Amino acid sequence: MDKTPFIQIKDLRKVYKLGKERVVALDGINLTIQRGEICCILGTSGSGKSTLLNMMAGLERPTKGQVLYSGKDVTRFDERRWALFRQKNIGFVFQSYNLMTGLSGIENVAMPLMFRGMDKDKRTRIAKEMLREVGLGNRMKHKPTQMSGGQQQRVGIARAFVTKPKIVFADEPTGNLDSKTTMEVMELMVNKSRENNQTFILVTHDNGIARYADRIVTIVDGRIVKDEANESIARTREQIAADQKAQQPADGKEVEEAAPLSEQAVAANMSTEGAE
Amino acid sequence: MKIFDQIAMCLQNLSRRKVRTALTTMGVVIGTCAIVVMISLGVGLQRSQEAMLAQMGDLTKIEIYNYAGAGGQSEIPNLDDSVVQQIAAYDHVEVITPLVQADWGKITIQCGDYLYQDSIYGVYPEALEKLGYLLKEGKYPSGKEKDYTILFGEYGPYSFYDPNGNGEWYDPNSGDDPPVDVFRDEVTVSVGIADAETTEQEAPVHEAQVTGLLMGDWNKGYETFYGAFLPIDQLYELYEEYDEVNNISSSSSTAFNPRKINYNRVSVKVSDMKYVDEVETKIQELGYETYSMESVRKPMQEQTNKMMLILGSLGGISLLVAAMGITNTMIMSIYERTREIGIMKVLGCVVGDIRTVFLLEAGLIGLGGGAIGVLLSYAISFVLNMLGSGGLGSLLGGMYYGGGDATRISVIPIWLVGLALVFSTLIGLISGFSPANRAVKISALEAIKHE
Repeated sequence: MDKTPFIQIKDLRKVYKLGKERVVALDGINLTIQRGEICCILGTSGSGKSTLLNMMAGLERPTKGQVLYSGKDVTRFDERRWALFRQKNIGFVFQSYNLMTGLSGIENVAMPLMFRGMDKDKRTRIAKEMLREVGLGNRMKHKPTQMSGGQQQRVGIARAFVTKPKIVFADEPTGNLDSKTTMEVMELMVNKSRENNQTFILVTHDNGIARYADRIVTIVDGRIVKDEANESIARTREQIAADQKAQQPADGKEVEEAAPLSEQAVAANMSTEGAE
Repeated sequence: MKIFDQIAMCLQNLSRRKVRTALTTMGVVIGTCAIVVMISLGVGLQRSQEAMLAQMGDLTKIEIYNYAGAGGQSEIPNLDDSVVQQIAAYDHVEVITPLVQADWGKITIQCGDYLYQDSIYGVYPEALEKLGYLLKEGKYPSGKEKDYTILFGEYGPYSFYDPNGNGEWYDPNSGDDPPVDVFRDEVTVSVGIADAETTEQEAPVHEAQVTGLLMGDWNKGYETFYGAFLPIDQLYELYEEYDEVNNISSSSSTAFNPRKINYNRVSVKVSDMKYVDEVETKIQELGYETYSMESVRKPMQEQTNKMMLILGSLGGISLLVAAMGITNTMIMSIYERTREIGIMKVLGCVVGDIRTVFLLEAGLIGLGGGAIGVLLSYAISFVLNMLGSGGLGSLLGGMYYGGGDATRISVIPIWLVGLALVFSTLIGLISGFSPANRAVKISALEAIKHE
């Protein structure tokens, strides 16, 4: 292997014990995901897709197997290291938004920055800008209870992307939204990921939203049964990149940001020791 | 996370549940108040006892009485200057002086035609001021004067009589002038003649200077009214002269022998009341009998301490109840915030920060309750003292002090304020410790599914 993959999952296995019964949730998953890839993990309820996501994010420990980020095995991380790793590298979008009900939109979005120890002025400024980017410029000071589901999810998305994480996980992000809002939200997340060359991992049971991904990995009963590239999107992406190059030949910065980083740079950037 | 953000988050959490925070804090307020007021009563009692004892005598003074060892038939070493110096070198001893009452008839003080007719004492002149003998007039002898120097008690000038007169007695309380003016009239000292038949010598008459009059104080003793004080060296000079004039050979047992000095009274002043016990014990170990107010003060203080402990424990019980209230509130709060804790964990908040926020909340309830409790205690203390001069005061303190001056029944010293604040904060932190750890142990995955 000449190149270290961005995310590599090796023979991942998870067995739950429910009383005397043993339930195999994941049965030897092997998966490699590249940086900047938009990957959908598709499966029915109980297929093990959420378990896989939880293990990639350090919320659950695998029974067997490894998860490697830029070659680094994270399965043995302790809680503190995982927290710092998530703080630095991972963003989350949840089905039920999981916003802090007592905090305003800005405060919710600024929270991951606060965990990093950023000054209040600075993080508020960044959070405001992020909220404007997701189209909530006029509802920033509202509490989640004063927002619609779609607006709440936009706050959730802003919160996930505000730290510019290398990976964003989304677990059924549109499960509680109507079809129009679903489209808006999906496009928002996919565009955001592409903008910064972020790896976006979408977990869903919905074939409809799976089409936003570059690649669809289908899981049934804890096994990968299908792993295919989404041709239409891949082509579109190339198209977009080409268009951008054509349109803004002078603006090197924009192109550079969109272009995938070398894996060495990723490895160097992929710090596990974050500032508190 | 920055500590500032942690505090902000903690305040936000507390203010979100105002009623519950207020009620929990109220528990701490009542507990702190109970402790502070109870202890303040004890302190008030202690203060009034001390005031009363101080009226009875100097609390920092130790008197050494040495009548047993006289004559050398005992094991106890003679209490002479070397022993006095040894005691003077003890820690916390501020000043020491022997108090020698001159043998009757050996020394005569004369002022005009009048003779002094009361006790003459030898002391270290430099010790008088530090021992708390106050001056009514004049100054203290420095001990460096060449002349004989005399410091009289307050009524010293009234203690003169006319040997050729009709034995008239001058009453210092009558308002009459004393028979002599010791500052204007010429004062002399001379040694007495024991037996006019055994000596032909005339006793030489020495001029003496009266430096001042002491302020009479019955707590310090009779001598502050009617005594006459000479520096101890001058007293012994006169003793030697007495032997010479009266032809008493130095080998005689009645002769003055500086090597056989055995003071029977020595006054020691200790720098602070709290060292009296230590110094007194050391002196007693040398074999001398001592007396100090400590023997009165100690049992009294022990009793007061016992009382304070009982009163404080009563207060402590209410603070214990308050502590349970804090724990309960924090546990409730964790159940309510389980999902939030989970979100924070998933978003990369390290567990230490979560624990800190919870501990801060519990500690703040403790500190806030303590602070309000202290303020309230001051108010209660004020009211008690107002009432105290009437009913309750006589109930609690009446048996100890008759006079009503400087008698507050409730005293809150600054250390009690500090103690109350530290203690209530600590109670908060301890109560919050187990809930905080519980919050930390919550599984992030379970928590975000929690509704």
